[in-house]
Amino acid sequence: MRVLGGVSAAPGAAIGAPWIYRAPSSRGEDRLDLREATKAAEAELVALADRLRHAGRAEDAGILDAQALMAHDPELIGGARRRMRDGAAASAAILAEGEAQAAALSALDNEIVAARAVDVRDVAQRIARAIRGDVGPRLERPSVAVAADLPPSVTVELDQELLLGIALEAGSPTAHAAILARALGIPAVVGVAGLLDAASDANSLGVDGTGGAVTIDPDGAARERLEAVLAEQRERRAADAQLRATPLATRDGHRITLLANVGRPDEAVSAATAGAEGIGLFRTEFMFMGRSSAPTVAAQAEAYFAALAPFVGRPVVIRTLDVGGDKQLPYLAQEPEGNPFLGLRAIRLAEHNRELLVAQLRAILKAAARSKAETWIMAPMVADLGDVALVRALLAEAAVDRDDSARQPRVGIMVELPAAAVLADQLAGAVDFFSIGTNDLTQYLLAADRTNPSLAQRQDPMHPAVLRSVRTVVRAGRMAHIPVAVCGEMAGDPVGAVTLAGLGVDELSMDPGSFGAVKRALGAVTQVEAERIAARACDARSAADARRMVADLVLESAAGGSSHD
Amino acid sequence: MMHQVTLNVRNPSGLHARPAALFVRAAAAFAADIRVVNLTRAPRKAAPAKSLLALLALGVSSGDRIRVVAEGADADAAVAALRALVESGLGEAMPPSPES
Repeated sequence: MRVLGGVSAAPGAAIGAPWIYRAPSSRGEDRLDLREATKAAEAELVALADRLRHAGRAEDAGILDAQALMAHDPELIGGARRRMRDGAAASAAILAEGEAQAAALSALDNEIVAARAVDVRDVAQRIARAIRGDVGPRLERPSVAVAADLPPSVTVELDQELLLGIALEAGSPTAHAAILARALGIPAVVGVAGLLDAASDANSLGVDGTGGAVTIDPDGAARERLEAVLAEQRERRAADAQLRATPLATRDGHRITLLANVGRPDEAVSAATAGAEGIGLFRTEFMFMGRSSAPTVAAQAEAYFAALAPFVGRPVVIRTLDVGGDKQLPYLAQEPEGNPFLGLRAIRLAEHNRELLVAQLRAILKAAARSKAETWIMAPMVADLGDVALVRALLAEAAVDRDDSARQPRVGIMVELPAAAVLADQLAGAVDFFSIGTNDLTQYLLAADRTNPSLAQRQDPMHPAVLRSVRTVVRAGRMAHIPVAVCGEMAGDPVGAVTLAGLGVDELSMDPGSFGAVKRALGAVTQVEAERIAARACDARSAADARRMVADLVLESAAGGSSHD
Repeated sequence: MMHQVTLNVRNPSGLHARPAALFVRAAAAFAADIRVVNLTRAPRKAAPAKSLLALLALGVSSGDRIRVVAEGADADAAVAALRALVESGLGEAMPPSPES
């Protein structure tokens, strides 16, 4: 038994027979001529691309479409023929020309183009295989694929049911094979020096993708260790998958919409994969930070569209810019403020930076018009109907040259200022939705600076003052028939989530990392239990008391649920 | 008969990935000999439009200007088709023009 070290490229563990991929050699006989071989290779690639497209793997299919074009590329084939005229055998000629084209592409400055070098080498190898009449790469039994580097088309061609893991002597964690391994949930290790030599005599290989090691012919103890890692991973995956498929609901089936808080467009995709039913808070500050000039409408529209894209027919709440004097944006017209958190920030930027806000709304409307998601626009720091009127005026300015009045986004507000909570009944009739920002609401209600660690005790949103404010806002929302969400951290805290459910909140928006814990906590209690405990928590004497009583209920219910009915 | 046109490439990916493949397939439909020059980065290199590899090597990025030159029986149809393809964004959503 030997253990070889490498770089971890995809987590997990696997034990299986080694299956070694080697590039076709040019020893021995050529069977097909170049023309026949390129046609065969192209046909294989087209068929493979179709198979992938039908399996919903559009991007992988696109790569193979491009490879199919390369298979009869005049440069590649012309170059190979020139070599053949100089005396090379067809298989040697295509491999050499493939190498030359790959080298030429890699040498270019452009990174995206250089990545295509891998593809032309891959295609040349496929054509060479056809010339030699080699059997195409296929797994006969559950195996660990071993290679110096696995060409992209081979990686997608292998039967996924039989592919247990990938080990590469070269390669990098960003290689296509590693990306595919992560997508398939199988372990991968790359950069394993001496792998090919060691694997060619091996009966079985253990791959530890998490630790980054390959074990040649693992003995009993090593097998047990690997099998334990594998079993634990399987259990966790099954539990996660089941939880992802379970909607957010109390034990007796009362549903709450599960939304995600995201700060960048690419987070929207992983939120959707994690089971989000929409986005409850898309923070747009990323577009404005770290720049010396304001972003263009076009650039903003692209970014917002990307966040909308994964949620066909689902709500995506885009929050307008929420910065102020505490963040130095060089292109903001700002006057120095003694207390920037209580200053001209967010919607109040309209005072000196109206065009900036109008431009953002313009970009949001552009993105919304192109998208199949339901775009909801949310304004932060709204205190009263005057602020709502300001938001609507800005939106009207942004929409002035547009004629898509048919699909107007919904317009709502973040309820984070105590004034908005007190005036919730007025505001509910003037907007399409509420989203309670419990972080700032707690800060303002309890006059406790969020950034001051010595005030931690006073920053707990489970404080009865906060709970009663939420209750008021929910009641106002109900009377006006508008949905009430919570997007503060409280929504992603199991104790907070149960309390909010009990207070009648319709939607909880949180970091996707909290989905599992919140589903488990809410799933442990009935709606009636949640309502009762929330009512008692509103009369608690402190945040600590409120938290303790809800936590006790959740723990009891989780431990012995069936006794509570 | 030689026909040519100068075009601005405005789609986000430029002449890479899927757009490049679309361009090559469109060119392949014509008998004419078609060449592409990247005026912005490689004004001296002319790549055959029917070779994906040669086109990729031109490194045409979003914002570059290219010249498409065609010679042969259906040269004018070829140029017209490729112009229409590039101007419509090569299958990608195009960012709005800078004025908006």
